[in-house]
Amino acid sequence: MRHLGILALAVFILLPLVQAIVLSFTATLPTDTLTEGTVGLMNYRNVLAAPELRAAMVNSLIYVVLNVALCIGVGLPAAYALARYRFTGDRHFLLAILVFRVTPPVVLSLPIFILFSHFGLVNSPVGIALVHCLFNLPVAIWILESFIRAVPQEFDETAFLDGHSGLSFFFRHLIPQIAPGIGVAAFFCFIFSWVEVVFARILTVTGGKPITMAIQAMFSFQTDIGMVMAMTCLSLVPGVAMIWFVRNHLAKGFTLRA
Amino acid sequence: MRPHDNRAWFLILPALTLLGLVGALPLLAVINYGFHDIFTLSDVFWVGPQWFSDILQSDRFLASLGRSLLFSTLALGIQVPLGIGVALLLLTYGKRAVWGLMLVALPLVVPWNMIPMFWLGLIQPETGLLGPGLAAVGFDWKFTGWHTWALILVVDTWHWLGLVVVLAYAGLSAIPAAYGQAAAIDGASRWAVFRFIQLPKIAGALAIVFLLRFVDSFMIYTEAFAINAGGPGDATRFLTLELGEEIKGFSYGQAAARATLYFLIVLAVVWAFVSATREREG
Repeated sequence: MRHLGILALAVFILLPLVQAIVLSFTATLPTDTLTEGTVGLMNYRNVLAAPELRAAMVNSLIYVVLNVALCIGVGLPAAYALARYRFTGDRHFLLAILVFRVTPPVVLSLPIFILFSHFGLVNSPVGIALVHCLFNLPVAIWILESFIRAVPQEFDETAFLDGHSGLSFFFRHLIPQIAPGIGVAAFFCFIFSWVEVVFARILTVTGGKPITMAIQAMFSFQTDIGMVMAMTCLSLVPGVAMIWFVRNHLAKGFTLRA
Repeated sequence: MRPHDNRAWFLILPALTLLGLVGALPLLAVINYGFHDIFTLSDVFWVGPQWFSDILQSDRFLASLGRSLLFSTLALGIQVPLGIGVALLLLTYGKRAVWGLMLVALPLVVPWNMIPMFWLGLIQPETGLLGPGLAAVGFDWKFTGWHTWALILVVDTWHWLGLVVVLAYAGLSAIPAAYGQAAAIDGASRWAVFRFIQLPKIAGALAIVFLLRFVDSFMIYTEAFAINAGGPGDATRFLTLELGEEIKGFSYGQAAARATLYFLIVLAVVWAFVSATREREG
């Protein structure tokens, strides 16, 4: 009975993916040399041969890596402060990051565009990396805070007694101790950032397009849907790799902190 | 007990600065725009609360608000119980549950704009894997309103079920085994274990699931627009589709006023939710 439930779930989740993968290996737009329905790697070859698609993959990787680095780098000290100290306004800070996390991107899209074009951040992966912090930084802080809280306070005190300063304690002791937490935080930042389309669309008008927008641009009067699916399948690879790396820590999750 | 030390502010200062720049500043700007008529950025006129009263008095806005609230209610009503169910099921698999978690996490890494494409391909009457079967039973998502609703709900569930499962499973697997053993000695029923041990323990995880799923389903755009652009008729015209129309029509002042209203609605729900959570925790 329970196996049946899991089987139904697997079919439900995998069915759309299977169709996409099958299409990605099928010629869907007949050419002089290929008839429709031929099976092979031609879609993947076409994708890798297209400079704008290769550039899109690089753009996506740049902004996601930047975003994850920013969220962890800025989030770690904040998470440490919340886990170890009480201070005036700590609950207000938690409420504020919750509000930012749930602010719909579409609400902010217009002023973000105007603000970022002032600073020359439109059409650049840096702009997307910055703006995605809006919803990723709160998540990173929640996750890191719960991991730091799980480390006993004596751990910090011992390190300080051993003569470690704040910075060397952070890098030599705390970060290795909560490495799984950093992995989980990176994973959740990745999944909310890699696939996002609202900010990615408004911040890339002419260039710097990430994968999501490059795929969008492949739809035209005569869409080569096989090639679109090949591009999509390639875009899943980093995500699937991320899932694999954090699989044993995935179940740490995060909870409401307010 | 954590010591009280206001020097901790230095540690949250970078985070606060960043969020101020990409969050607070644009938010203030959008509220300000909402009180203006904007032709170009150098051609801006004060109109006061006119946009707000226009929007609030229009029947279309109220109808869209109703549709969006209904959609969120349905999405939460389906995904939260289903996600908890799957998490409970996975829990019985012990270490092998990790494969189930990886499976349900897969849709989370699919680019959002491709999710409706996947599903439209799947139900395409001629070539889709499910297409011929669905066409045979008369499924018509293009012209029958409630079929479009069903499709969007299924797609949204496919997309986000993983988040519910992962967070619910995280809460459930953190419960010490001793709780279950004690309950077994007392002869507690399966339902009693869930209601009085598991549910209270995953309340924190469920709270965040509820909020995230509420906002994202309330502000659904990519899927709804790609599937039927609000149709048939106005059957799936959600709040965001109206906002999208105004932005595309360059009515920036009006769009900003509308965005402000949406933000206030979301804020009200979050506030009510957090107040309830804090009260429960005492």
